[in-house]
Order: sequence, then structure tokens, then C-alpha cells
Amino acid sequence: MANVQDSGLSMLERFREVNRTFPRNRELVEWRDRGGKVFGWLCTYVPEEVIHAAGVLPIRIVGYSQETDLDDGNAYMYVNNCSFSRSCLQLGLRGEYDFLDGVVGGSTCDGARRLFDLWRQYVRTPFHHVLTVPRKYTDRAHMLYHCEVLEFKQHLEEYLGLKITEEALYHSILLYNESRELLRKLYDLRKQEKPPISGAETMEVLNASFRMPKEVFNQWLADLLDEASRSERKSSGRVRLMLVGSVLTNADFVRFIEDQGGMVVTDELCTSTRYWGDPVVLDSGLSLTEAISRRYLNNFPCARMFPSEERFDRIIQAALGFRVDGVVSQTIRYCVPYAHDLPLLEKRLRECGIPMLALDIEYGTSGSGQIKTRVQAFIEMLEAKRR
Amino acid sequence: MTSQMTENKLSVIIRACRLVRRMLRADPEARRSQLMYYSMLEEYFARILRAKEEGGFLVGHTVFFPAEIIYAMGLVPMHTETATWTMALFTGDCSDILASGARLGMAQEICTPHRGLTGAFASGALPHPDVMLWSNMVCDNTAKSGELIMEVCHCPGFLLDRPFKRSQHEIGYLVSELEDMICFLEERSGRKMDWDKLSEIVARMDRQIELVRQINELRKNVPTPFRPQGFLELLTVDYLFPGQPEALEYLETLHQELTEAVREGRGAVKPERFRLMTFFIPPMYLMGFLDRMSRQFGAVSVIEPFFTYWGEGRLEASRPLESVAMKSYMIPEMRMYGPLDERALNAIVQCVDDYKVDGAIYYADVGCRHSCATIKLFKDILAEKGVPTLVVDCDVVDSTVTPEDEVREKLEQFFELLEER
Repeated sequence: MANVQDSGLSMLERFREVNRTFPRNRELVEWRDRGGKVFGWLCTYVPEEVIHAAGVLPIRIVGYSQETDLDDGNAYMYVNNCSFSRSCLQLGLRGEYDFLDGVVGGSTCDGARRLFDLWRQYVRTPFHHVLTVPRKYTDRAHMLYHCEVLEFKQHLEEYLGLKITEEALYHSILLYNESRELLRKLYDLRKQEKPPISGAETMEVLNASFRMPKEVFNQWLADLLDEASRSERKSSGRVRLMLVGSVLTNADFVRFIEDQGGMVVTDELCTSTRYWGDPVVLDSGLSLTEAISRRYLNNFPCARMFPSEERFDRIIQAALGFRVDGVVSQTIRYCVPYAHDLPLLEKRLRECGIPMLALDIEYGTSGSGQIKTRVQAFIEMLEAKRR
Repeated sequence: MTSQMTENKLSVIIRACRLVRRMLRADPEARRSQLMYYSMLEEYFARILRAKEEGGFLVGHTVFFPAEIIYAMGLVPMHTETATWTMALFTGDCSDILASGARLGMAQEICTPHRGLTGAFASGALPHPDVMLWSNMVCDNTAKSGELIMEVCHCPGFLLDRPFKRSQHEIGYLVSELEDMICFLEERSGRKMDWDKLSEIVARMDRQIELVRQINELRKNVPTPFRPQGFLELLTVDYLFPGQPEALEYLETLHQELTEAVREGRGAVKPERFRLMTFFIPPMYLMGFLDRMSRQFGAVSVIEPFFTYWGEGRLEASRPLESVAMKSYMIPEMRMYGPLDERALNAIVQCVDDYKVDGAIYYADVGCRHSCATIKLFKDILAEKGVPTLVVDCDVVDSTVTPEDEVREKLEQFFELLEER
């Protein structure tokens, strides 16, 4: 509840409970008790709707959201791979994801690719599939990715011994689109001068979003939106910030930034905006699988995509839309796609008059002394600029 | 200042090649193929240096890029990663270009061949290409390197988006990407693709692969006839001269020399004590030292499953573009950088048996996340076959990462271990 005044939002506690007890959260346990299968996905380019339409619960594989030792992850993956992939592998090796019936990855970045390889060799989840994800947005890239989605769908059908019907797919698209729309509304609240919900709280909601059935999540989120819009809560942050960069699930890191006087009002993270960003567009004359594949390839891009200008443009568009004073970039060490983009992104932001603070962190890290000093100095600079 | 530095760095490489050739000529045991190799290397970099003044169109390209197309269009290729590590090989110190990369804001996590490369362009240590081509065939560093280079060199560029797997629709996509790239090159260079020439190059590349396979067959012999670190020559020839007449001449000469050596029972090291499998690339600045160590201990690399061990498959001159696409999946390194399936892992096991491997050396380049992420996996596979693995932490370009003494100590201990077994 960093720098957000007023009493708490009671609905937030439900999301927190999901995160606190994952993977033994009630919603997941009940699903499995009913005989439901659960598949883990490793990257936002994996089309969840296809998994859901097969009657399987898709959840996101993430690592420890807090700082922890990564002995197994380091031993199997070496320290020069990003701490997110090592943290995920660590959990896998320790049996924390033993309940998974399948794992689905994409050829998205080195960390994700190697995590998938090692997961298959050492964690041995029964079903595994990796999708080739093009790096371009050309028509042929879209055709390729559509083929990949179809191949994945077929693989699922063969493995599960069922047919994914058009009706099921349509239903799943509607469900996931509803979720995206609700999350958009949550973000819209943060456009307010004094948002009723903080960046850290939003991240807690998002973390829960990929750890439970969307049917339940959507209902809870609708209730939260209702509660938040009626609430008198107001953020007391002094400057408006946008968070960009590597994968992040540690709400405490966001809370730490907000504790220094920042208001994280939007972001460009694969665990938040890039996760829910764009809907699957129906009624465009495309088949359902094609509509899905187009959405995933055209979605708010990861740094892996080319040209990077597409990502930069959308970051700037969001920064302007949310009236941010500055951008905080956090790059997990050895997250090379984002590291490569930094010099070019900084230049683009500078041209738009938006200052950027670049932080090197480890996945799961909270604000250490040095980070604190830098964040404080950045916020002070933004405040001075405002005056 | 800029042009002076450019001349200096390339000139250093060229002068070093000349020096090595002079030394080899004076060495009665030197093989003709070695002389040819350094002559090729010298000419490759001299061509880059001359490109601007001779009206050549200089094309920078990343590792494993299908340079066959560049050659077929009569353009001048510049293999960027090889340029960086050749600088490291011949100068021993890349601190200036690494510092230049850092000044651009390039993070430490970006591997030194790429940090050094962009730094070299920024400082003028390498000539700016007329166009930059890069791909996602290896890792995020290659896939992400192009845009900053375009910015630094003020040149246009093209990303070749190569699909991860090799289904028919993926190969089709790659062919279409190659077609787009040819259009891009034609537009920018004003030169037309010579399809007959590409077919000839593909036919020669097919022969080139076949020759490497035959050379590897000869390396199975005990004692093995090929020099301890000789595989780096095979690698460089493959990278810089795909389907080029000089590459065939070199490989045919080498094959002949090795055939003779086998017939006469001559080994590369005397006596041959340890037959090694090598993973990844040794630090360039330690090459001379590693060669001496190998000879001192009778240790020789007999196979490199992910560098020289070509898989099955042939290239067809009648389908040049499809063959270039297929080759990208046949390249030995792609077994490691592509989906790490059973086929890739079985290649390691097969190599242990076929090449009578005693031990493996894994050069764990701190900047290479892909190769480091498989250390344990490969080590486990080798352990099941009773083959120990030595992991040498290093950096292929940055000489400050691993001192020579540390590597010496590790190698000595490893050879002792092998001896005891």
C-alpha cells in the first residue's frame, strides 16, 4: 500500500492470498481436485487461449518473487543466464512445479530457450512443446506463427485425445479478452492524478492473474474495480513513473520505488502491460486461430522483436498517455535483449524529453542501498524538473 | 584519427598473418595447408581494407550468416565476430574497443565479441560497412546487435529472421527471408544476384562439407594427425570462405596431408596421450599457450561435436536458395543453438565412441549464455560414458578474465586426472 492513503481494498487480500499460497492456492487445488490438468507456460508469446480451450488450466511459470539462493539453478544453468530463468529452473528442480502436466515455451530469448531445454531434461514434465516465434511483423511472419499455433493446437489435441472445438476456442477468446479489458480498466484508474491503487498493488493483482482460472479472476477483478472506483484512496506519490525492462514479479520492488516518493502509474513489462495489452480481434474475417496468432505477434512487443522502434514507440505512447515524469528501466543481469535496447531507448526518450533511470538488478531483488540512492536521486531530479 | 585507427587494426591482422607465414616457411615441419590458411586470412582482411578505395560494397554480417549470397553478388563480406576475435588473437588486447563499446552504453552482459565489435565500429578500428546483415541464428546478442551498429555506422541493415525449428513451413519462411534479403542487397548495392554463381558456390559448399567430414574421419585415427587446436582453422574457413575456391583448395590440401600422416603413422603430438573433445571456443589470446600445453602433455582435440562435426544432409546446386536455407540447419553449431533434442545429445555420445575420447574441455565463455547453460547437461552425458570434463571459465576476447597461470594449473590437474585413469 505504498504511499496510497486510506484504508485497504478488501479485494486485494484475495489476490494476495493466491500469490502467498501458490502453488497450493485454493483455486488451483480445487481445479486439480476436479481432475483438471494444468500446463505451465514460459513466455507471453505462448497463446493461452489454445490451452484453455483444450480444457487445461494455463498458468505462468515464474521464479521466486523474492531474493533467494539459486544454488540448483546456478549449477544447472550457470550464473551468466538471467536470474529469472535460473529461479524458474530452481523451483522446477525442487519439485515446486511437479503438479504440472505440461510445459509450453517459445523461441523467444536465450534464457527462455535454455530454460525449456533444461526443464525438459531434468524436470521432466510429461508434455512439452516449443513454438517458433518470428521476430518480425511481416505477413509471412504472421503466416509462420499461425502455422505454429495450429501445430501446437494439433499437438495438444493428440496428447489429450480430444478435439479443440471452434466453440471452445471462441469462448476462451472471449474470456481472455474480458480479462484484458478489466485489466485495462485497472490501468485507466492509474491515469488519475492521485490513483486509488498503487503500482505494487497492481502487480499483486497481475501475479494472481496467471496463477488461477480466469473465470474466477475476472469476477474478483470486476469486484476490485468496483471497490477501487468507489474508494477515497489516493496515492501520495510525488512523481509519476513508468517501469520498463525485464520480467518482474516482485511487487516489493515496485513498492520500494513508491516508498521513495514515486508513483508507478504504468509499465512495459511482460508480467503486466505486455501480458494483457491487446485483445484478440474477432470479426475481422480471420479464423479464430489466426486471430489468436495475430494478437500474440502484434501485441506490445518484447525487446526481442524487430524493429525495436515498434517497442520504443509504444513505450513513448504509454508514457505520454499516463503523463509520466520519468521512466525507470530495470534490466535483470544477463537479460541481453533489454540490455541491447538501452542505449537506443534512452536516446529516444531523451528526444521526447522523458528522463530515464537505468537499473541493473537481479530477478527477485528488492531495493538495496545503492538502488535506493539512485531511485531517490532520480525522483528528486524529476521533482526539481517539475518545479 | 578514425581512419588511422581503422588502418591500424586491420593492418595489425594483415601484418601478423604475413609474419606467421614467414615463420611457417622457415619451419621444415610446417604444412602447406597452414601457409595457405594464413594467406587466405590475410587476403580476406586486406580485401576489407581495400573495399572502399576499390569501389567494393562492404557487407558486415554476423556469425553463421549465409555469406554464400554475399559472394554470389560480388560484394565484400566482413564476418563481424571473427573480425573481433581475430583482433584478440593477433593483438592480445581488446581493451580499447571494449571501452569504446562501454562508452556507447553497452552493458557488461553483452558478450565481448559484440561489445568489442560495436566499439570497434564506433572508434573506427574497423571500417564501417555499407550495409549490416545480422540474424537470430545463434543468440540474442547476434539477434540484437544490428540496430545499434546501424546507428553507429549510419548504414542500413537487414535482420534475417531464421525460424527456430526446421519444419517445412519454417524452411519456407527462411527461403522467403533470404529472397527479401537479396532484394534488399540488390537495392542498396546496385548489384544483381548472379544465380548461376550461387549454384556454383552451393556446389562447392557441398564439397567443402564433405571434405570436413572426410577430415574428421581421418581424425579418428590413433594417433590423430590434425594439430591440437587445428579445428579453429576449419571453423574460420567455414565462417569466412563458404563455397569459395580457396577453401576447397585448402581443405583438399589438408586432407591430403592428413592422409599421408595417417599412412605413415605420424600423430599431431608425440606421443599422443590424451584425446580430447572440445566445446566452444578457447580464449583467442591464449592460443599460443594452449598449443604449447597440448604438445607438452600430448593432448589433442580430436572432435568438436558442435563445431566441426557436420550432420547428415547434402546441398543441391539446382536449388541454391533452399540449400542455403537447409545448410543453416545442418551447421554443427546449430545442434547446440537450436532445439536441444535427443539428436543433438546423441551426437556427443556418438563422438565419444567414434573418436575414442578420453576427456572433454569445455570453454565456458562468460559472455555466452547458451553454451554455459549446457555445461552440466553435457558433463552429465559424458560422465555416463566415463569421460571427465574440465570447465575453463574464460572470455574469448577479453584477456583480463582468465590469466594464463590459472588455465595452466587447471589443465595440468586435468591431465593428471586423465593420466591416473
